[in-house]
Amino acid sequence: MRLSRFLPTSGKVRAGLIIAVFFVLLAVFGPLLTSYSPQASGTDLLQPPSGTHWLGTTQTGQDVFAQFVYGARISLGVGLVAGILSQIVSVLVGVIGGYFRGLSDDLLYILTAVFLVVPGMPLLIVLTGYLPSRGMVSVAFVIAITSWAGSARVLRAQTMSLRRREFVEAARATGESRTRIVFSEIMPNALPLIASGFLFSVIGAVLAEAGLSFLGLGSLTTTSWGSMLYFAQSAQAFLYGAWWWFVPPGLAIAVLGAGLALINFGIDEYSNPRLRTGRSRARAVRSRGPHAAALSTAGASAAASGAETPGVATILHDDAPDETVGSVPAGAAPAPPQIRELDVPGKPIIEVRHLKVDYPGADQVVHAVDDVSITLHRGELLGLAGESGSGKSTLTNAITRLLRNPAQVTGGSITYHRSARGRPSGPTTGGSEAEVEAIDLLGLSTEELRAYRWDELAIVFQSAMNALNAVTSVGAQFDDVLRVHRPTMPAREREALARTMLEKVGIDPGRVSAYPHELSGGMKQRVAIAIALVLEPDVIVMDEPTTALDLLIQREVLDQVMALRDEYGFAIIFTTHDLSLLLEVSDSIAVMQRGRLVEYGPALEVYAEPRHPYTRALLASLADMGALV
Amino acid sequence: MSSDVTDPVGPGNGRVVLEARNLVKDFRTNKRAGVFGREYFRAVDDVSLELRAGQVTALVGQSGSGKSTVGRLLAQLVPLTSGEILLNGAPVAATRGRAFIRYTGTVQMTLQDPFASLNPLHRVSYTLGRALRIHGGPMSADDVTERSLALLRKVELGPAELYLHRFPHELSGGERQRISFARALAAEPKVLLADEPVSMLDVTIRKGMLDLLDQLRRTEELAVLYITHDLGSARAYSAETLVMYHGKVVERGPSDQVIHDPAHEYTRRLLAAAPNPRRRLAG
Repeated sequence: MRLSRFLPTSGKVRAGLIIAVFFVLLAVFGPLLTSYSPQASGTDLLQPPSGTHWLGTTQTGQDVFAQFVYGARISLGVGLVAGILSQIVSVLVGVIGGYFRGLSDDLLYILTAVFLVVPGMPLLIVLTGYLPSRGMVSVAFVIAITSWAGSARVLRAQTMSLRRREFVEAARATGESRTRIVFSEIMPNALPLIASGFLFSVIGAVLAEAGLSFLGLGSLTTTSWGSMLYFAQSAQAFLYGAWWWFVPPGLAIAVLGAGLALINFGIDEYSNPRLRTGRSRARAVRSRGPHAAALSTAGASAAASGAETPGVATILHDDAPDETVGSVPAGAAPAPPQIRELDVPGKPIIEVRHLKVDYPGADQVVHAVDDVSITLHRGELLGLAGESGSGKSTLTNAITRLLRNPAQVTGGSITYHRSARGRPSGPTTGGSEAEVEAIDLLGLSTEELRAYRWDELAIVFQSAMNALNAVTSVGAQFDDVLRVHRPTMPAREREALARTMLEKVGIDPGRVSAYPHELSGGMKQRVAIAIALVLEPDVIVMDEPTTALDLLIQREVLDQVMALRDEYGFAIIFTTHDLSLLLEVSDSIAVMQRGRLVEYGPALEVYAEPRHPYTRALLASLADMGALV
Repeated sequence: MSSDVTDPVGPGNGRVVLEARNLVKDFRTNKRAGVFGREYFRAVDDVSLELRAGQVTALVGQSGSGKSTVGRLLAQLVPLTSGEILLNGAPVAATRGRAFIRYTGTVQMTLQDPFASLNPLHRVSYTLGRALRIHGGPMSADDVTERSLALLRKVELGPAELYLHRFPHELSGGERQRISFARALAAEPKVLLADEPVSMLDVTIRKGMLDLLDQLRRTEELAVLYITHDLGSARAYSAETLVMYHGKVVERGPSDQVIHDPAHEYTRRLLAAAPNPRRRLAG
């Protein structure tokens, strides 16, 4: 049962391990299976496999099976010794150079670069030519010298990225010594690379040894898979059809290489505790029964929702699974949702009715959105508040149809009321029934979806840095949208439109040729807003649009958004965790907690008189922390 | 909904533990100046401050203001360009070696991102155990466990036994930040430099975290530097507030005074930009 924890789950890795173990056992115990010596010649010349000679004989009557198993010792031995040596060198050079930087790094890096450009095989041949003895260890040593550089370069890059990670800084601030930081903090995180580097240098060394021996540069007095191939070749075994002479060593090298490469797939599983504990935990749940299951799912859901056991969270998350296991009596029902009538002038544009979105997990189904109904009206700013894990992003992703597997809509509907196009021009009668078409958003095909997105509904993401393409200019990103949605628009007009939109969000139109990295964070977010506006959509979903911005910039961007809304009249769904910001800018507010809508109504009323205990607790803790509420 | 917090901060006349005098830090940029030279960027420009036992001092600024660099200078994680750091009145320069480790026994720092500041490969027991062994000298495994549990209880993580064998990915953001605090407390420090301890956490968890910080300063007589971008929480949790802008301290004073009667133009603009629902009721 303890052993089963160490068995890999992946079939590939199991196959790889079986292959590797088979060859190791063959090398260790194989010679006990045969009574022949690998060198001794006999009277049976070039015989095919038989009961006396399992793999036949060579031209001089040597037993091929004996050669094969003794050769496995040499080939594997050279591979293992060379793999270990080369990995030790590359770890020392790569990790030390990458962590300490400075002159020692420069020198080590030059050394690495030199060994990288030196052609390995010729150097190997030259070096072996001068070896005093061609024993297993000295051949392995030469192979290691020519093969460490590639792995060292990879490790150096990884170390340089790891040393900038915050946990390394934190370990330093704790007072941890440099040696400890290198060997206990950085090295374990580079272990997958070290391990796979080791596997591949073993493969490389087995091949290199075979190559050297095949060229006759190995030790010709000891038998390895390579020297078997050398003698088979020089005796023209292929011409005589003596397949049993050259197929076993050739096949063994290929299969061993494949096996080690397969093991490489499993390295992550052992080095990443996230994958490791997930498995053992799931197993423990199955074996230890319901009590253990309750405990571990409570832990998992607490981690997933960003919830926390002590302090104020205990009061707020009154229906959390971890609390129902512990302190709160089972009868305590969550407070009912507080829904108020909205008094918004516009007609409904998006109606969400009893929407349910689930994430099926291994042990339980998470209801990310649970029976939520909200209505967005034309020109309305709907604020969606909630902490991490509240389901607000899942809800907006359902509306924008950006939900990804494994999320599943399991109930409810989302209806979009499309107005007739050509809205701004011509004397319209102000939205009579005939002009509005109700569309079932959840039923749209991929093709219809493309038209709906951006034309009707645009999205502004939290980090404009990631939403904007770093390698194309601002103008090109406007073009991307316009070419898809306005295919007939000439290039000149597209650029003019881009310039106009930039001006509207308060950016110099000349910046149309700028690249994202030339813009500040606030400007990038404005560009993202301008791109969202370019097709004059009816709805804009803004997902934490100002969270990454500084206070002063946030204020500027917000003012800009409000001015643009007055000009264009689009409706906004505004998501943020900042309740005081939402209370200031929204017409109506929806507060979500653990997938449920707990309070929904006009922003001012919710602010003046919050009814749900969660909303009240949120506002109270904001006030305690000095926010202006 | 007004926030009449009764002075949560304490007297504000404790003994000065850590003092910074005229700190300056230049960073080398990628821009060339002359043939071999580089241009330098002044991240911290003539900053002086005092941290007192049992008192929270807030250092407020927007991103790029240099506030985190001040924290790292005080923790001696980066060397000073010029200026002086005094611990208990004596100048110390200890950015490396044994002197630095001794310094970390008194001055500890916690970092902003709870998701990145714990090594994902180490259990809580290892993280705390290392901190205890560095500063407590050699001790038995039982001792380490005993003290680790005490630390977990101090940061209100319970049942402590349950947390000891967890990996960081099995903890929420708030729990991780508490582990970071526990690690810092393992050294039994006199000064805690808390760099944006709550900015990455949910609102409901922030208050618990700040309350914990407030409690620690009281029970452990800690001198706390609370580095934040949020003026509101600076007022609610600190006795003294310093406002930084472009590497300089532009305003300092008792927190209530800084918030209610800001003297500097920049502080006024910051306060005006803060989200404020009351604005709507008025307008």
